[in-house]
Amino acid sequence: MKGPSAPRPKFDTLNAALAAAAVDSSGLTFVNIREEEEILPWAEVYRRARRAASALLKLGIRQGDRVVVILPTGPSFMDAFFGTLLAGAVPVPLYPPLRLGRFDEYQSATARMVKLVGARVVVSDSRLRRLLGKAIEASRPELGCTTAEALIDDTSEAEARPHALCLIQFSSGSTVDPKPVALSQENLLAQCAILNSVINASATEREVGVSWLPLYHDMGLIGCLLSAVYYPAPLVLIPPENFLARPALWLRAISRHRGTASAAPSFGYSLCVHRIKDAELQGVDLSSWRIALNGAEPVSMNVMRKFGKRFSAWGFNSRALTPGYGLAEATLAVTYSAPERPVQALSIDPLELARQGEARDGNFEIASVGPPVPGVEVEVRGEAGEALPERRVGNIFVRGPSVMVAYFGNPRATARALQGGWLDTGDMGFVDNGELYICGRAKDLVIIRGANHQPQEFEACVESLEGVRTGCIVALGFTPAGGESEELLILAERAPRQHVVHMSPETGAVCTTLEERIRKAVLDGTGIRAHTVKILEPGTLPRTSSGKMRRREALRRFLSNELEPPQPVNVVRLAGKLVQSVLAYAKIELSREG
Amino acid sequence: MAHSAEVLAEIRRIASEELQLERAVEASDELIQDLQLDSLGLTILAVGLEDRFRIKLTEEDSARVCTVEDLAALVAVRASQAQR
Repeated sequence: MKGPSAPRPKFDTLNAALAAAAVDSSGLTFVNIREEEEILPWAEVYRRARRAASALLKLGIRQGDRVVVILPTGPSFMDAFFGTLLAGAVPVPLYPPLRLGRFDEYQSATARMVKLVGARVVVSDSRLRRLLGKAIEASRPELGCTTAEALIDDTSEAEARPHALCLIQFSSGSTVDPKPVALSQENLLAQCAILNSVINASATEREVGVSWLPLYHDMGLIGCLLSAVYYPAPLVLIPPENFLARPALWLRAISRHRGTASAAPSFGYSLCVHRIKDAELQGVDLSSWRIALNGAEPVSMNVMRKFGKRFSAWGFNSRALTPGYGLAEATLAVTYSAPERPVQALSIDPLELARQGEARDGNFEIASVGPPVPGVEVEVRGEAGEALPERRVGNIFVRGPSVMVAYFGNPRATARALQGGWLDTGDMGFVDNGELYICGRAKDLVIIRGANHQPQEFEACVESLEGVRTGCIVALGFTPAGGESEELLILAERAPRQHVVHMSPETGAVCTTLEERIRKAVLDGTGIRAHTVKILEPGTLPRTSSGKMRRREALRRFLSNELEPPQPVNVVRLAGKLVQSVLAYAKIELSREG
Repeated sequence: MAHSAEVLAEIRRIASEELQLERAVEASDELIQDLQLDSLGLTILAVGLEDRFRIKLTEEDSARVCTVEDLAALVAVRASQAQR
């Protein structure tokens, strides 16, 4: 299925879009935890970025060089990011370390990403720079690590010819096998034009964006920041950690600024439902909020309904909730449901879906993520690559002007993902009545709170635990029955000798201990809490002929209650089988004689 | 000046009200091992304490903080530095 024809971008490059925004009177507003605000008009963003560009050029940055940007949401992120673009170089935003987070893993993951893109310099701030020592040492960018403060100390302003490669974004959270998605100027401008046409075209008043999404993630960076530059529109930014600590900051900012468009993954809406107190919403009016986009992780009907119900008392209109689907490899958006209509949902049978790959009527609600956005084609294909009819579950392929150029420096992964101009999204779903429904993933990925994790991250934590059968463990993402968002599921086989211990009733506790130890190991290693840990008999998990775990099949069997241990072959059972077959022969003999 | 006892009380409040932790929080509890805080829980705790005591916890602090006690002591020191 195909969206309407692609809108023509207003600009050829992001630099041209920024220069045009600088003439507009609007700009950015940064909100801190105390709701104090700092205003930075687009004109000022542009002026400061030209100074940063001049400094980067003096530092020796050349056209096409990759510049890693590690900064929290704030004015210095803008200096470094747009300064890099104006210098004709390629920004690569990476996530800053979390407070009280896991520091060693952060260092190694960062070093790995800096190396993968062959960064010539890392831009951070004076506070973070001291902490990045290990990551810089391990990745050795040629020009080391500089600070955003130093960049705008420069008093001259400069601009170089923009490079065809515009931006490299990592799919968030992934530390085991991070893939740098290379996006061209065309990719980004096409995406901005698409977002402009679907979101802003229906506006009767000027759009006002409000976002707490991280700027190292496609939805925050492209969907909010770059889209506001392109429009141009005022944009209010809240650092993500402040939203997590005080979700009310988000809704209060929308109310204060008469925000019209704001996006979040499902968990963000859920956090509001559960953690905001009525007292925090005194005088809040959400009636200006026209588009509440829901994307970046599986969309929960449950959460949307609760959010709509709870906040209608503050003027929120449930019709503002608009689920969408996208991925970093497609720059951002692939499908989008029209604003100002109720969320479309189908009630299907989850068992049939897991067993037969068919969406038959049932009682499990699944939200439509809408039809393709303008200029984008979506095809659902079977295992042999054939196009599937409606309501048959298959692999989702996408084609369009904002599909990535390549994975940076990884032709093998690129060849696997891009086939004849079509992007294999690795997601699974079906089409009904011209709208896409997402119902699983072919690629091995666990999405927790909008962040993508490779299953190996979790599996590695458990692998060496005593009592777990070596290599016989899978980590999966699943939405528990009645749950609101994707959760972590660990399926682990116990080591064969544990089986004997388990059989004895006095030591039955071994099983729970192993489960607890697995939970602890995962939380310790990754900071993520497993929702369900299931200990299985040896040989239960499905494997390929070469003995590799088949994660997707394991999930399918788990969901359809088909995870069964292999039938033990013992003398009694074998005798039983013999008896059965003897009886069968006897019956055949009898029927012949009869 | 904030005493670590005062910080400990605030940690307990955040744990029960914001993080909805069902167990009692002891000073000797480890944030990750015993309280089982995930990255979201740690962020809520850190930002909550920063806000209440008007301090800034740095990313460096993560290396030094293991137990509730460590955290309470650190916040108390930061708060007294900020007052000076």
